[in-house]
Amino acid sequence: MSALLELRGIRAAHERITVLHGVDLDVAAGQVVALLGPNGAGKTTTLRVAAGVHPAESGQLVLGGRDMTGADPRDLARAGVCLIPEGRGVFPNLSVRDNLLMMTFTGRSREEIEEFAFARFPVLAKRAGQAAGTLSGGEQQMLALARGLATDPAVLLLDELSMGLAPLVVGRLYEQVGEIARQGVAVLVVEQFAAAVLDICDHAAVLVRGRVERRGHPDGGLRAELSALYLGSST
Amino acid sequence: MTSTETRADRFVRELTVLKIPDPAAGRAALWLRAGAALMTIGVVLGVCAYFISHNTSDPLVQNDALTLGLAAVAGSVVGSALFLRYSLTGFLRYWMARQSYDVELLADRLLERELRHDPTGTDAAPR
Repeated sequence: MSALLELRGIRAAHERITVLHGVDLDVAAGQVVALLGPNGAGKTTTLRVAAGVHPAESGQLVLGGRDMTGADPRDLARAGVCLIPEGRGVFPNLSVRDNLLMMTFTGRSREEIEEFAFARFPVLAKRAGQAAGTLSGGEQQMLALARGLATDPAVLLLDELSMGLAPLVVGRLYEQVGEIARQGVAVLVVEQFAAAVLDICDHAAVLVRGRVERRGHPDGGLRAELSALYLGSST
Repeated sequence: MTSTETRADRFVRELTVLKIPDPAAGRAALWLRAGAALMTIGVVLGVCAYFISHNTSDPLVQNDALTLGLAAVAGSVVGSALFLRYSLTGFLRYWMARQSYDVELLADRLLERELRHDPTGTDAAPR
């Protein structure tokens, strides 16, 4: 299966500090790839480079086999790259229904978007008139996912889906992510807390200080090495 | 588009037809800085020209100051235009989106009110 999203030798910096030192990643259609690593490893920057919102100093961003390095993020979003940022990305003062209504810019009708979102996340239907900022963390994350899915993404980039959520809620959200991938979407998930995402991902890569230190199937070996990599000891 | 086309196939197809502008040609940040610089320099030169012309009785120097002042004003206007073009477009885009949203919401409310209109005439809704 050819990759929909490829990062080849990506180097990126914040101001003058290089945070990514040649990151290579592939995500094929229908795959969930988890990018794990401790705080400050460069996970979010990798995701932002993949979405085109952070410039790469060198390396290539290849989408669908085409080199899209340096392309405008709006063009990438239009083509089907969807980034759901850390912190949920919903409009807290608007109701759930209005948050979904904002996604009609994609050309899909409000009814279509609501039907799709409420079928996938029934709790949102119950909270339709409620301000998004008053929802629980898990519900806000569901709303953010529903808004992202309304764009009909081919490549979905998720940043710290589990942040601030109870493990049970995280598990349910990742079940949905797995379901989304099974429909042919290439999913790249960035996570600091690996347990939940390793259950559903096809591949995992561990980023430490801007370098992919380990990659492979999320088997026992990788799980065992994770704690060592997080703690900085060599195994 | 064929009915068997997957989202991934469509993504690849759309990417191939997508006209991606050359990233090197997109120098929005540079134009923004140039606009701000031109605007500031224009104002400073304009003020300088004013003082130059007032501190001399030589008509030749005053003419030079006049030319400098006019050039400064022109530069400042061009700089302001550039700055507005590259700084406000994002804001205006969202403002327009918000306007569209409000108009759609208003249309929905009017339609809803129309549908719920009380035939006894007690409804004070504008017709």
